[in-house]
Amino acid sequence: MIRLEFNKLRFLVIDDNAHMRRIMRTLLHGFGAREVYEAEDGAAGLEAFTHYVPDIIITDWEMPIFDGLELTQMIRQPGANGNPYVPIIMLTGHTEKARVVSARDAGITEFIAKPISANSLYQRILNVVVNPRPFIRTKTYFGPDRRRNVSPNYSGPERRKGASGDVTQQAPLLEKAKSPA
Amino acid sequence: MSKFEKPSVMTFADYEVILPANPLLGAASHVADNDPDNDPVARAEQALAVLASEFSNWMEAECERLDRERARLRHIGINDATHHALFRAAHDIKGEAATFGYPEVAGTAASLCRLLEHTSDMTRIPLALIDQHVDTVRAIIREHARSDAGELAKVLNSRLREVTEDFLRQDNRHRPDYLDSIASPR
Repeated sequence: MIRLEFNKLRFLVIDDNAHMRRIMRTLLHGFGAREVYEAEDGAAGLEAFTHYVPDIIITDWEMPIFDGLELTQMIRQPGANGNPYVPIIMLTGHTEKARVVSARDAGITEFIAKPISANSLYQRILNVVVNPRPFIRTKTYFGPDRRRNVSPNYSGPERRKGASGDVTQQAPLLEKAKSPA
Repeated sequence: MSKFEKPSVMTFADYEVILPANPLLGAASHVADNDPDNDPVARAEQALAVLASEFSNWMEAECERLDRERARLRHIGINDATHHALFRAAHDIKGEAATFGYPEVAGTAASLCRLLEHTSDMTRIPLALIDQHVDTVRAIIREHARSDAGELAKVLNSRLREVTEDFLRQDNRHRPDYLDSIASPR
């Protein structure tokens, strides 16, 4: 089996709620992480992203100034300061399908529906480290490949022109929202 | 540990596939077996269990915040700021309550979030229904030690959810596809 050495990873936790930040810090330290930085809103999060150069970002959605979705869109700007490919795990109380789709289209890497559990967090982190998806750039999207599987029932047109490309098989985000563990 | 390296890029007619370097892989290693003495998830759960002694205080603090935002909305009136502040207070409780040991409260907060988020015009939200949600959150937390607290909370939540969904159906009757589109997966 694969184990992660969390002491080699640098985390940035962005959440306006101090209780949730404390919980996240406790879980990450419990896993063995030493470098856990925090920010309490999207603007501070963006600043911390540039300053601390985290390996993995864990962000809330609902925050003042600008939210986790806007933060993700700002990070996923090719050519901007910082690493636009950084894994972004969205931890949120939003579980509705439209929300999950919006998060996916903003370029998040993984999605965790609250309530948080140690296992669900660990599995998402393991996945972004061991099984990263390629990035796709189109006129309207830049982010992790949104195609997590090939549907045998899909009968619509191939929207990507030139080649169908490989798809890294992973469970859809909505499935993960339904079963957080 | 990240050092930004130039990714490899495959260019197609109208899109690019980019394979970024993955320096994080250096943090992964194969271990022979599941060693129960070196289980990071178990260690994190233990750390969280130590923190749990603070959860009831945190739940009360979140409840006070919700009550404060309700009072502010009542005092100032409903506008973008008061609406959003109350929504965020309810949304935080929805996400945290189960972790804090108050899973019933999460249902009440979720219902309040739906009322605040999906009413077509915020000025149409019945303030009495907001009050009923906030008062229910307060009551469940206050009576949490009672042996029948779970059963009472279930009844209250069921009724609140029913009233809220009836209101949302009526309020959104001019856009029948809308409620389908916001159906919660849970």
